[in-house]
Amino acid sequence: MEKGGLNFAVRYPFSEDAKKAIADIQLTERIADLAVERIKKALAGEMRARAVLHESDKEEEIASFAAARMILGYLRNPFLTSRFAVNEAKIAHNWLDRNENDVEAVARSFGIETTDRKGRMLLRLPVYLRYSPRSVDYRITNRRLEDGMVDITSHEKKRLTEEAVRKHVERIPLVRDPPDVIKNAGEKLLESLPKTQEARGIGAVMKVEDHPPCVERLLESLRKHENLNHQARYYLATYFMAIGMKDETIMQAFSDAPDFNQKTTAYQVGQIRKKGYSVPSCATVMTYGLCCAVCRIGSPLNWHTLGKERKDVIKEQVAARTEERTA
Amino acid sequence: MSMTETDRAMMTKVFSSYYRQADLDVVAIGQREFGVGFSRKIESRHLSFMSPGELRNYLTSNTPFFVSHSISYYDYPGATPMEKKGWKGADLVFDLDLHSETKYGAFLLLGKVKADLARLVRDFIKGDFGCNDVTLNFSGNRGYHVHVRDKDFRVLGSEERRELVDYVMGNGLNYRDFFSETPAKPAKLLGPRQDEGGYRGRFANMTLKVLEEKPATIHRNLKQEKAREVFVKGIMEGNWSTSPFQKNGELIARLGPIAQALPVASVDTDAGVTQDLSKLIRVPNSIHGDTGLIAKTFDDIDSFEPLRDALLPSSQIIKIRFLEDVPELPLRGEATGPFKKDEEKELNLAVAGFYVLKGSATIVKR
Repeated sequence: MEKGGLNFAVRYPFSEDAKKAIADIQLTERIADLAVERIKKALAGEMRARAVLHESDKEEEIASFAAARMILGYLRNPFLTSRFAVNEAKIAHNWLDRNENDVEAVARSFGIETTDRKGRMLLRLPVYLRYSPRSVDYRITNRRLEDGMVDITSHEKKRLTEEAVRKHVERIPLVRDPPDVIKNAGEKLLESLPKTQEARGIGAVMKVEDHPPCVERLLESLRKHENLNHQARYYLATYFMAIGMKDETIMQAFSDAPDFNQKTTAYQVGQIRKKGYSVPSCATVMTYGLCCAVCRIGSPLNWHTLGKERKDVIKEQVAARTEERTA
Repeated sequence: MSMTETDRAMMTKVFSSYYRQADLDVVAIGQREFGVGFSRKIESRHLSFMSPGELRNYLTSNTPFFVSHSISYYDYPGATPMEKKGWKGADLVFDLDLHSETKYGAFLLLGKVKADLARLVRDFIKGDFGCNDVTLNFSGNRGYHVHVRDKDFRVLGSEERRELVDYVMGNGLNYRDFFSETPAKPAKLLGPRQDEGGYRGRFANMTLKVLEEKPATIHRNLKQEKAREVFVKGIMEGNWSTSPFQKNGELIARLGPIAQALPVASVDTDAGVTQDLSKLIRVPNSIHGDTGLIAKTFDDIDSFEPLRDALLPSSQIIKIRFLEDVPELPLRGEATGPFKKDEEKELNLAVAGFYVLKGSATIVKR
């Protein structure tokens, strides 16, 4: 492989180039160790890529990504997998920022192909929907949208590519019976995790299980280590504050999110507290697309004024609807 | 359903004979899951049919009152549980549904929803989303279904579909964000132009239309042609500071009602249909068992009249007795009713069947 191609593969270890680069490489203990480091780095939210100086190290570096995926496919821990995917996507985004020439090729590999029309950058709507982050800035309602084409900026193109990388990396096939070197690495990784990890998170904080169905559903997503969008997090934070939870406890509740970042969360929670933002009304929750029941209470906080019987009826309706959907 | 055995047997016979010649061309029929019901929409699901002929045989011999197919395509549509079906994609389906306080109220409003249906299809689905493979059918009861089968939309997940529903419903639409002020003094108010797509373009277009038809609802001075011309020219160039308002904020506030009229309101009630990938939707051209009306496919929204065009084809006359008062309705192209409780009447089979299935009448034995 030519030199430029190998460097590209190091930057984007999920690419076809990367696959080709390591096609003939033997899985070694050293590679498995690097893979464990790679996953640990993701858990720490360490976004800087490892500096690889020697040519001979480059192939190992690429292989460590593939080995990390095997380890994750073996462990089947959704939390680890999500954190890994989020981090690898952010690393890729960093590389794209520093190598604008790469954007076209990486984006295209995920079907993100833009067309130029009089200085506007246009992307097909279905592709845009698949890879745009679920945040208010990316909602199509307030964008130029015409004949199936959405206007995006070059910065947004990189953000969409990051999301495509995250989704791609997150889809890890099960590895039922891996080579011993992977098994050992997986066990080593689990041992090195702080034991408190399990005791932390949503399960430990939310002993009381009496919240409006929409809140319950978001908590369930957190338990499953699924990412919540900005509005969902904002809603949960204001709700937690209103029912009297302390900042540290709220922080802990969010620590289950795959892209949890201590600093960012602390800042956001602090801001909400400082500005005194109140809990959104049910109507607002509905426009966020988070409402999942018919409580008729106006504000989610009024849930706590309902009688047990009424609550049970509402919960049953929600359950019935979910069941009908999955039946 | 308060039907007698005789009523049910009679209707079953009518349905069965309709299915013998009905157009049951479900797109990719072999990849769809089917669900059927005899007294409600779905009593059993996970059925599959390899061809329209197989489906026809089933419907003529078993004759359920309700038959639906999955919006999704599967490798193994008959497999259970859902995960084993092998999801391949799904049509994008929109359900426009009417609600009314009274039993027959919604039927009188079916015409009104057509305006929303036309806007949904022309402006949103074809215009903004750029879809081409779009078919329409009456739901057989209180609304309309839109099936979109463009290939690149089939792979969209549930959340992505939700984004499309939100768009159509205008959820999260904040027209104030369409405007921005330039830093220079005096500040210029930049806003949408009519040649922009989506809500921005539609907002500019609608404002221009109001300026032409009812300018005074925006500002008294706009009744004067000169003031209006200046403002219209400004909007065309995206410069909204040319309005007669002293403050830009006042203008923006006054335009609120225009923004409110842009989304399609009647999709609201059934956002779940679009979003829920395991949803079963009535088979086009099948009969809705609560009405005996055909979920008929049609091309031309303007000329389609469900209460005239979606009735079962029949020239047979039967006698029914009314169990309650029913209001006048335009059925089979003519004013029908009102009828009083206990009144006996000889009516066309399709019309009589409609009242029987609605539980308002019973067949009088000869």
